[in-house]
Amino acid sequence: MRENRDGGDTRVSNANGTTLVSYLLGGMAFWGGIGWVADRALGFSALFLPVGLIVGFAGAVYLIYAQHVRS
Amino acid sequence: MSADVNVVAASEPGCHIFNDFGCGFEAPGPSLFFPEPWVDFGLAGTYGLSKYILLLAVALLIAAGFWFFTTRKAKVVPSRGQSMAEMLVEFLRGQVTRNAIGKEGDRYLPLMVALFLFIFCMNIMGLIPGLQLPVTSHLAFPAVLAIFVFVLWNVIGIRRHGVGGHFKARLVPGGVPGWILPIVVPIEALSNFVIRPATHMIRLFATMFAGHLLLALFAAAGFYMFNPTSPMGPLFGAISVGYSGIALLGFLVFTLFELFIMAVQAYVFVLLSSIYIGEALEGAH
Repeated sequence: MRENRDGGDTRVSNANGTTLVSYLLGGMAFWGGIGWVADRALGFSALFLPVGLIVGFAGAVYLIYAQHVRS
Repeated sequence: MSADVNVVAASEPGCHIFNDFGCGFEAPGPSLFFPEPWVDFGLAGTYGLSKYILLLAVALLIAAGFWFFTTRKAKVVPSRGQSMAEMLVEFLRGQVTRNAIGKEGDRYLPLMVALFLFIFCMNIMGLIPGLQLPVTSHLAFPAVLAIFVFVLWNVIGIRRHGVGGHFKARLVPGGVPGWILPIVVPIEALSNFVIRPATHMIRLFATMFAGHLLLALFAAAGFYMFNPTSPMGPLFGAISVGYSGIALLGFLVFTLFELFIMAVQAYVFVLLSSIYIGEALEGAH
């Protein structure tokens, strides 16, 4: 807990828009990127890329839930 | 309006609406943000001394001058200037550091006040007649500030929690089952160490870039559409003056709006910096 200027306790959430957007972008960029590399390496046109994007998106949504909603 | 009368490059004399010189409206583009350097050192990756450097120096002098003139004769009963300076400090303490960091945020208040005023002064360079180029509309300047805050964020976190504690807090989210960690740890890493500092700098840069481009567009359109002596007759001349008036009214309205945005963006930059520093001090979620 933190104290505000009057000495009372206020909890300022770190759930600002930037954090949420960076989770979503980071998730899809990282796992989508892994999927894209896997497609290139294994000779597929677009198999692992969408899987990676979905995994990244789901991971990011879970992180947002775990960090900022559940707590 | 036929295509042959919709002519002119705003930069060329005589190129106005309702003329027939074979030149059309040329909208201002990103070249506005690359002024010719006055002195070029010829070093790879450098830009030489350009208008940006001059405006940076002017912004720095204004920010430093503000503190010098408002606080050089500080008294218990403040003068008008001192009251302004105190209001700014009080505002940032109440709205930014105490809210985002808590009482410990008072240690970082001088940094936040300096950052706010410096960024605001760099931004308002876009509104000063004759200068008219916000320093922060060049990515290099917000980038240096955002990278500085990013480095500070790491230094504060490491000093408070140690290297392991800081990076564990930033990479391993609390309360997450172990089997999900391989999926979410890379997301945390990319989010905290790449995307967040990048968005911190791009937010300030992009709003200043777009705002300046919009003002330049209104000004160029007002100039282009002003043609009271149109060869097509007085009616078209009067219409052109009306068009030009609308564009110039838009220019004035958006100038006021831009002034507001300049203050808001400086505020948002220091607010985010405070939130990041507060997070580094707090450690794990």
